Amino acid sequence: MSRLPFFFIVAGLIGFGLFHLSSLASLFTWIGDGVRGPTGWFSSHLFVLGWATMLAMGAVYQLLGVILQSKLFSVRLGYVHFAVFAVGLASLLAGFLRGEAAWLAVSAPLVFLGILLFASNVWATLICAGQWNAITVSAAAGVLYLVMTGVTGMIMGVDFATGWFYGMHNRLFAVHIWLGTVGWFGLIITGFSYKLLPMFYLAHRYPSGLQTAVLIVWNAAALAGAASFLLGGRPWTAGGAVALLAVAVALYNLHLLQIRKARHKRCPGKGIAWSVNGNQAFAVIAVLAAVWALANPERLSDQRAVLVAGWIYLAGWVTFMILCYASKIVPFLWWTWKYGGQAGRPGTPLMADLLDERKVNVCLAVIAVSLLAPAAGLALDVRPLVAAGGIVYSVSSLAYLSLLGLVFRR
Amino acid sequence: MGEMNPIRERLREVYDPELGVNIVDLGLVYEIRDEPDRIYVCMTLTTPGCPMHDSMTGAVRRALQDLAGGREVEVDLVWEPRWSPEMMSEKAKEQLGFF
Repeated sequence: MSRLPFFFIVAGLIGFGLFHLSSLASLFTWIGDGVRGPTGWFSSHLFVLGWATMLAMGAVYQLLGVILQSKLFSVRLGYVHFAVFAVGLASLLAGFLRGEAAWLAVSAPLVFLGILLFASNVWATLICAGQWNAITVSAAAGVLYLVMTGVTGMIMGVDFATGWFYGMHNRLFAVHIWLGTVGWFGLIITGFSYKLLPMFYLAHRYPSGLQTAVLIVWNAAALAGAASFLLGGRPWTAGGAVALLAVAVALYNLHLLQIRKARHKRCPGKGIAWSVNGNQAFAVIAVLAAVWALANPERLSDQRAVLVAGWIYLAGWVTFMILCYASKIVPFLWWTWKYGGQAGRPGTPLMADLLDERKVNVCLAVIAVSLLAPAAGLALDVRPLVAAGGIVYSVSSLAYLSLLGLVFRR
Repeated sequence: MGEMNPIRERLREVYDPELGVNIVDLGLVYEIRDEPDRIYVCMTLTTPGCPMHDSMTGAVRRALQDLAGGREVEVDLVWEPRWSPEMMSEKAKEQLGFF
């Protein structure tokens, strides 16, 4: 197996650590002060691109070969993508910190180029393999939304410099966030879980019809939300997109339960068990949020509502899912690299020997609980609660990160 | 009681690194042929496109190297018939908490 995914996953874990260290240093004031300023841009882009997207890209490179049983279109292009994306992102983050437009003008196109290289490689691999199902269509569509997120980000950058899209900026900003979160992360996480979850549960002969239903409704939510925001984000259309997303999340969770019901292994690993628990909690919150959104459509654009929703979605669902799956992905990568050539010889460790499941359980439990405090603090506008919850969240995340890091010493 | 096949017994030392169960008890080994010029093993994995594909076939080759005594060890990885949990031994089912 190529080391390409390894580069992205390690870089993503480093990005996650840096995000928490910088958030601890500022006591999470960047959230309370609003994310639309240089500090907020720095933290949100470090989180979304430096951590979640970096790791998701590595997971895509790792899992595409597994799902398609074929090679990546170009591993070399993957390395070029990594170099361009990593350099562009580091420069972009420095540009935000320094507040220098010239840096951003150079670095943002580099990040976008990295995304285009990634998309070309993934699409070429999928087209060459020609196997279309809920997993591969989810991956192809997720990457398309990532490209569209990049396009809207670039247009906003051009608008900052030239003012050409005056009057459209807020609409583009909403589309940028919606497509990146709901489209890119949503479809990648749901799509790949259709392969991973049955594998870890050893599930067989489960119905798969809901995978197609989730794919259709999730895409409908992504497109409806983008169209709504592009046209001005009227309360009822935006509320409708949120409701569609809640339906997709609910259907997705029904399918996860179908998979779990068809399991032949009692415990899939603590991380995977937490991913299912986290998904179920997310489904309940999503349905409640949709009911609230339909009852209060005029409050959907309220900054506090957007912050709470963003926190729950990105920190509570996207990041939590990635952390849960990392408990399998990181040991797998390290085991394959270090012990793959020794398998079959006496004394070769198993993957379970590389990571302490009991500690995984404790860390993920603390992370899950601590996530709720900043959400409550943002909803009630109690900043000390945001800071206190954020600190526990960061400390427990760093502890978990260290635990994952220890895998590389086994 | 039938005679134990030394090749099969040796393959009990090859573990699925994710499940922690040996490949014989998992029911992954479909056929073993001890021929004059080679040892032939036909096997599968628990899921098509299992990421352990290369590691597992390599593990079988390594485990049988000394029994082969210079002969070739051929490992044929097949997806038909598809593996199902019922193929596991009682011991493996118990180990995994089989449902």
